[in-house]
Amino acid sequence: MGPMTGNDRRILIAIPAYNEAGTIAAVVDRVRSSLPDCDLLVVNDGSGDATEQILKERRVTIATHLCNLGYGRAIQTAIMCAIKGGYDALITLDADGQHKPEQLQDLLHEFEASPCDVLIGSRYIASGNYRGAPLGRRVGMQLFSFLVRLFAGQRVYDTSSGLKIMRRTVFDPLTHWHFVDFHSEVIVYLMRLGYRVQEFPVTMGERTQGRSMYTLINHFKYPLKTSMLVVLGIIQAGLTRRRQQS
Amino acid sequence: MTLQGMIVVNLFGLVLLFWVFNLVRRGRLYVGYGVIFVIAILASVVLLSVPWLLTFVTHLIGAIFPVSALTLLALCFLVLMLLYTLSQLTIVSNRLAKLVQELAIERTQLEARQSAPATHLRETARPDGV
Repeated sequence: MGPMTGNDRRILIAIPAYNEAGTIAAVVDRVRSSLPDCDLLVVNDGSGDATEQILKERRVTIATHLCNLGYGRAIQTAIMCAIKGGYDALITLDADGQHKPEQLQDLLHEFEASPCDVLIGSRYIASGNYRGAPLGRRVGMQLFSFLVRLFAGQRVYDTSSGLKIMRRTVFDPLTHWHFVDFHSEVIVYLMRLGYRVQEFPVTMGERTQGRSMYTLINHFKYPLKTSMLVVLGIIQAGLTRRRQQS
Repeated sequence: MTLQGMIVVNLFGLVLLFWVFNLVRRGRLYVGYGVIFVIAILASVVLLSVPWLLTFVTHLIGAIFPVSALTLLALCFLVLMLLYTLSQLTIVSNRLAKLVQELAIERTQLEARQSAPATHLRETARPDGV
């Protein structure tokens, strides 16, 4: 699919949120003022705090999971909403306030001008290294960046960025297979299916409130789980391509 | 195995069988799982009650002592059952997640329709017009 024209585009911004009462109001307000022409959907992933109440007060469209299903499922719900709503593209960003909604306009311009199917807001592409990142994250980033390059033939610096724009061409494949974090496994899967993934430089802040999903156990679990999903994604993509050809 | 041991094994097998049948009857155990356990219990009882059969199986799997053969068989059964159970759990969990997602989307669409009849998510995303 080629670049989109500015007038006929229909874009949905989706924010998955789990117990983000401390930041969600500011994120929603900043997103609305940054991209007033786009629709906004918050996927409340079974939050037990006041997240839903805050969103209702702001009259935000909410898709509420009755229980916590995890980040990947929340993104899939957003994609399913985008499919049902007939949207051309989906922007995802985190609810913790680390992503700067003010940069969405630039990201969107780049997306509309480029022929890519997924554009990732990347913290590291500008510098080309992971300087400044904590050691654990730096090692993980290098590992998954290497895996993506090895299996998909293209360097992607920020494989774990939640700031993404996806064209509707990838909606279908992303709802037909199971992903956990929508990180490297999705990038490799899509690239092996022939979709184009690019990065665009953005800056991100540090989390000030709420809890990160990366707990101590997850530092060990995440690389193993994601590596396994990368390998399975390659197999699945191969089977899908063969099915499409026959 | 001694006579006393055989009596204990058979009694234990009977109790297990009764428990499995009762669980299936009360709908607390799927009949398919019940069948697996009935077969496993009967096979274990037969194996432990017929000495020459246990010796034959011990030689067949290359073990030296019958107790080693029994331990290996029991471990294999446990691992298989655990994998099968986790697989079933994952299937059920995926189904539940799908239901929760569908419910979330349907409720979103319903609320959108109620707040602005005959319109779409796009129009109702920000009813305040911000």
